[in-house]
Amino acid sequence: MSKEVKTHEKVDMDPKYILKLTLTLLITCVIVAGILGYVNSITKDRIAAFNKEKTEQALADVFKDASDPQFTSVDLTADMTAAAEEYKATLEEAYQVTDGGQDAGYAIKIVASGSQGDIEMVVGVDSDGAVTGVSIVSNVETSGIGSKVMANSKLANGTGVLDQFVGKSTSDQPLKVGGNVDAISGATVSSKGVTKGVNGALAVVAAIG
Amino acid sequence: MNIGKQFKEGLVTNNPVLVQLIGMCSTMAITTSFFNGLGMGLSVLIILTLSNIIISAIRKIIPDKIRIAMFIVVIACFVTCVDLSLQAFVPALSKALGVFLPLIVVNCIILGRAEAFCYKNGVLASTFDGIFQGLGYTVVLMIMSIFRELFGSGTFGAGVINGTSGVRIIPEQFPAKILTLPVGGFLCLACLIAAMQWALAKSNKKKEESK
Repeated sequence: MSKEVKTHEKVDMDPKYILKLTLTLLITCVIVAGILGYVNSITKDRIAAFNKEKTEQALADVFKDASDPQFTSVDLTADMTAAAEEYKATLEEAYQVTDGGQDAGYAIKIVASGSQGDIEMVVGVDSDGAVTGVSIVSNVETSGIGSKVMANSKLANGTGVLDQFVGKSTSDQPLKVGGNVDAISGATVSSKGVTKGVNGALAVVAAIG
Repeated sequence: MNIGKQFKEGLVTNNPVLVQLIGMCSTMAITTSFFNGLGMGLSVLIILTLSNIIISAIRKIIPDKIRIAMFIVVIACFVTCVDLSLQAFVPALSKALGVFLPLIVVNCIILGRAEAFCYKNGVLASTFDGIFQGLGYTVVLMIMSIFRELFGSGTFGAGVINGTSGVRIIPEQFPAKILTLPVGGFLCLACLIAAMQWALAKSNKKKEESK
């Protein structure tokens, strides 16, 4: 930046010099990798614990009407994954939900892309195939814009943007922003991302049952 | 070394955002609410100071031709450490900063200071440079985020104070929403830069007249 760039600089091909450059970079990278490995080893358990807690919290959130929800993990099949992919979403985990011994539906953990990256969410679907709730596990949406969708901000009609999916079922599919789904103004892409996830989750449940 | 002069440079006469015009992307993207601005400013302050210390300490053994690569490796190391630590110990802040924290790696303030200052100056001077330049960045971010949050959303402290909605100062129907969008960021930053340049030009003129 401050130094002048000479356009016809002769490349210094002295092997010793090149070796020195390579070694300096290599050693730095090795040291940095060592430091990062150490930091990772002391933080990864806590991060994993937080993520697990968040998933459990999200599972409980989408079945908040149930008095004693129990979640049993369901093995993923190719059909389920393909059903999610049809709506450009990636299926991560599926849980069968029982409430006091009664079948209460499914909770689907699914990932869809938002405006900045992946949105990881849990979608609850009851035994009648209607959405019970949507809860965001993790996202990297823009603070103050897409994050409003993640925080379930209110739409113009007073319903939360995530709450509007409650009660939707496969008969409403495909859910579409601008059609039967409203977006937060300025955050259309993030709203579309969540919609993809809900579409995917409904398709997955249809594939299971 | 002159701490007073460095302080003045970082905050006013050589402010990273308003005078050097670097780090604009994060400045415009993050300043939609006060605590986002503050969190981002402090993260940059910490990373900038740490990377300044290390880069000035090893400046004599860095070969000239690969200095940029070396800077980036050192900066990336600190950014990742801070990112992982925040995720593990302060998950709320890590969530609020989102994608902008990893992006500090390519924030040109840090690379710019490494190249323009640390590569030529000692450890102590570079430490102060990191602190003052970081403060200059934080102050601008705070001014912009208070302004944009107040007139764009009508609130203060969204995300932290009062649940997640912040304290409402202006009733919901009045704020100019455009200020929270990218175009509002450009307008707001342009006004700040103009005000800064006007003030600088005025003080320069005064100095010349008194000579």
